[in-house]
Amino acid sequence: MSVHLLGIRHHGPGSSRHVLNALSEIQPDVVLIEGPPEGEAMLSWATHADMQPPVALLGYVPDNPQQAVFYPFTLHSPEWNAILYALRNQVPVRFIDMPLAHGFAIEWQETASNIDTSEFTEQVRKNPISYLAEIAEFDDPEEWWEHRFEIVQQPYEVFEAIAESMTALRQALPERNDRRGGDRRGSDRRGSDRREEIREAFMRKSIRIAQKEGFERIAVVCGAWHVPALMHLPKQKEDDLLLKNLPKTKVESTWIPWTNDRMAFESGYGAGVESPGWYMHHWQHPDDHGTLWLSHTAHVFRANHVDISSAHIIEAVRLAGALAGLRGLSRPGLKELNEATVAVMCMGEPLLMKVIYRELIVGKAFGQIPEGTPQVPLQRNLEALAKRFRIKIIPEQKTLKLDLREENDLQKSILLHRLQLLDINWGTMEAVSGKGTFKEEWTLRWYPELTINLLEKAPWGNTVDEAAAKYLENKAKKCARLDEITPLVQTAIPADLPTALGAVMRKMDELAATTSDISMLMDAFTPLAQVSRYGNVRRTDRESIDLIMTTIFYRIIAGLPAGCTGIDDEQAAEMTQKIREVNQAIQMLEKQELTEAWTTTLRTIFHSDRTAPFIQGYSCKALYDSRLLEMDSTFNAFAKALSPNNEPSASANWLEGFLNDAATVLILDDVIWDVVNDWLQSLDDATFLQVVPLLRRTFANFSNVEKRKIAGRARQGKSGTSSPQTIDIDPQRAAQVLPILELLMGIK
Amino acid sequence: MAQNILRQAAEAQFAQEIEEIKKQDKHTRPENWLLSPHAVVTYLMGGKLGNGFDVSPKYIGNRRLMEIAVATLTTDRALLLYGLPGTAKSWVSEHISAAISGDSGLVIQGTAGTGEDSVRYGWNYAQLLSAGPVPEAIVETPVMRGMKEGKIVRVEELTRIGSDVQDSLITILSEKMLPIPELNTKVMAVRGFNMIATANNRDKGVNDLSSALKRRFNTVILPVPETIEEEVEIVQQRVASFSKSIDLPVEKPILEEINRIVTVFRELRNGVSTDGKTKLKSPSGTLSTAEAISVMNSGLSLAYHFGDASLKADDLASGLIGAIIKDPVQDKIVFQEYMETVLKQRDGWKDIYRACREII
Repeated sequence: MSVHLLGIRHHGPGSSRHVLNALSEIQPDVVLIEGPPEGEAMLSWATHADMQPPVALLGYVPDNPQQAVFYPFTLHSPEWNAILYALRNQVPVRFIDMPLAHGFAIEWQETASNIDTSEFTEQVRKNPISYLAEIAEFDDPEEWWEHRFEIVQQPYEVFEAIAESMTALRQALPERNDRRGGDRRGSDRRGSDRREEIREAFMRKSIRIAQKEGFERIAVVCGAWHVPALMHLPKQKEDDLLLKNLPKTKVESTWIPWTNDRMAFESGYGAGVESPGWYMHHWQHPDDHGTLWLSHTAHVFRANHVDISSAHIIEAVRLAGALAGLRGLSRPGLKELNEATVAVMCMGEPLLMKVIYRELIVGKAFGQIPEGTPQVPLQRNLEALAKRFRIKIIPEQKTLKLDLREENDLQKSILLHRLQLLDINWGTMEAVSGKGTFKEEWTLRWYPELTINLLEKAPWGNTVDEAAAKYLENKAKKCARLDEITPLVQTAIPADLPTALGAVMRKMDELAATTSDISMLMDAFTPLAQVSRYGNVRRTDRESIDLIMTTIFYRIIAGLPAGCTGIDDEQAAEMTQKIREVNQAIQMLEKQELTEAWTTTLRTIFHSDRTAPFIQGYSCKALYDSRLLEMDSTFNAFAKALSPNNEPSASANWLEGFLNDAATVLILDDVIWDVVNDWLQSLDDATFLQVVPLLRRTFANFSNVEKRKIAGRARQGKSGTSSPQTIDIDPQRAAQVLPILELLMGIK
Repeated sequence: MAQNILRQAAEAQFAQEIEEIKKQDKHTRPENWLLSPHAVVTYLMGGKLGNGFDVSPKYIGNRRLMEIAVATLTTDRALLLYGLPGTAKSWVSEHISAAISGDSGLVIQGTAGTGEDSVRYGWNYAQLLSAGPVPEAIVETPVMRGMKEGKIVRVEELTRIGSDVQDSLITILSEKMLPIPELNTKVMAVRGFNMIATANNRDKGVNDLSSALKRRFNTVILPVPETIEEEVEIVQQRVASFSKSIDLPVEKPILEEINRIVTVFRELRNGVSTDGKTKLKSPSGTLSTAEAISVMNSGLSLAYHFGDASLKADDLASGLIGAIIKDPVQDKIVFQEYMETVLKQRDGWKDIYRACREII
């Protein structure tokens, strides 16, 4: 009976080769792999024809999917190759790490502060092989691994050597701990230390079980770091003590597609790789001395409009070779190849390497998992929908332009809106140029993490439709204020969830009835008005919206005049802004009943002496704009508001409300101009001096161009006296120019 | 060679080092190379040899850059050293050719007036008139000699040479051959021939390389020193060798002064004070390490000849201001701002502030 410990570097192609060689030599009758036992059930999928790494084994707590952990595998991962070997040779394969059920349940304390957290410890823990490589003055751990161990003929000797070096490293660690942490070990140990101990105890336990079951040749594939802990099995009692009474939680697992740029993600093993694309190349073409890699590099450059000739490739290969020779390497590594690329192809400018880094060194590969892999129903539904709409769920950025008048596009839009509602931000809506509400532009990009959000929403329903509706209803139910529910309406309508929208509306009505805050009501009104006016593109149920909109509107009308009294300047300005929005919405709705009611209210506000002056000024202007106030009355109101007997600040506010954002009106509208102009001229010197500060305050808000234009107009005096129409024109002479003008303007 | 030579060529000044390295060199040498590539890098970067002999570092900075440079010369591409003025391009080029060929003297100084006859070959017109086009009438250029002897040829400021003249290098670099149509013959390059060109990327109005010529060069960009420690080390080393070569006794340890000069240069170059708290304007000059070295050197001379032989702030101030203020209007404002916001506030820097104040 023999136990063979194969210490590896996660995702290392060199490790993979050694593991495969060792396995075919050992001919094990059981393969044990560092991985979560919960994932064992999923292993059979690995050999499925449609399984395309990189993929990740995802373990999560169904009640709280944010508690999740990924174990990524790619083609050159030693674990992946060990799994494939075992499945193809019909050898039982087991995962022997600590079950996630415990991993999630135990709260690991990371509080101790006086323990050595130096870079040394951190680096050795995370990536012991890279540490050793650094001692040997290698930049690339894989390169070191290859150089150090390739020459050894017996693959198994490689692992013995690795075990020895790890043992040495591990022995070096506690010494450092002791020196800094003093003698207070044990209770003070970091959570991650305890976690490691428990993990290794679990691994030992699994090895013991395999031995008891009578397996003859046991192969264990685990991170090199753990090898020393598994070499000598301590008494079973010690481990059992460590594993006693561990808390537990429910865990589920599944496969999800993974991407190369997330291979660096530290999850599961706590070790990632920075250049998965390069390792993949290394794995697929172990004999490449740079020719193939640099040809790929040249292709990427050419695709990005950098001219690279074959001569460049030849020179780069030579330089990389010369560099490797100079550094005493048997062949160029990634560093040498990159340096050769910079010197030969990029004129020494490393900036261009960014594109190589993105496309080659990291690589754009993304995985695929076979259909029928166990998934939560919501996930399956989303995939079916995506398939139906021919949108691929891939981690690449893509732009989607939708014309909502097309049934198919409308459905796509609805799906994306529903997902947004569920906080699964696969698509982000972009601002669309051009007119019309029937166009939408989305930028799609799937992130593996979105799967977690999806799992999190799984309890809400088995289809996207159902989950979104229930989630929305629940959210609406929890709303306690009108301004919380208003944004929900805006998200619910494009998601086309009639039943849920009904619930949201009912809740909205309820909240509107109890709210006395006019400004909140006004906030709720504007989006509803917009939907009511333009909602027909989406064929939303308008009647119920109209009903609620109307009730909210009357509530506003009832409270508004009172709401405009007894407020300070700041609130008045805010209120005016909202009144303006409602005013616009009313004009847009073009409903006579509402318009009449609204103007009556405006008049009430205008005529009330208790209305805040700012609002009064605005309402005067609004009424004048709608031609509901004669010029005389406007003039009178103006003069009255600005008469010297008034409180100066009140006059200033009134004027600001009246002329707020209205410089253009002042420049172009003769009537308003005359009103202001006449009023100014009617003032005697003493009064004028008094109101000058007020005027300055209002005019200060205008832009320089506007001010200059106003000044220019003021120089001309009263409108009409010197306007262009009164210039003497000789019609006969003017007529002579007309044919040429017509010719110029292409009228004929 | 006579002792009173102002500045020895690299191969003469470091003859002993090259000799020692050669003795210890166990790696294979490319044909006509004095040292193996490995040993050349050792010569450049410095270090201890197997027999305990100390090799002084010639280039202080990233070893990988030197490795790329030397490796390039083993391939059939030429080397282009690119970078700001004062980043040791010519210095590196001189030492590489000294270590490889034992001769750093095959130099063409590129200027706007460099003609084809100084790149390829010229004619001895007296000979030409009396004897006609005969081989004896040809005046060899450094390029031609380098080709015949298999040595490294240096071209300084390649981009200052006119484009038409630059392009006459293409055949030489790609076919390693220099045709002489007048004699219906050609010079074929011997192994060991290659070229190191330098060019700076700061100046305007230079002649950019044609893409055909660019392809004949591998480019290494020499950066400004990354850390202040690195820069201080460079200045210190060069100042020490300067005072040795012109017999200036340095009494007081000058490291502190070097530190201050380098700090001033770095702060102005980076546009921010060392503590990261004060934003600064950058003057129009490059403020390279080479300029810091010359400020120190002129300060030392002043102190020795006109002062009491110990370096004081007054001795440095004039050099400092001369290096920084290249544009009498803009740069002056920049430096005055710097004096008031940084120099004046800094503890123990009052002397240098006052010295600068007096001159400006």
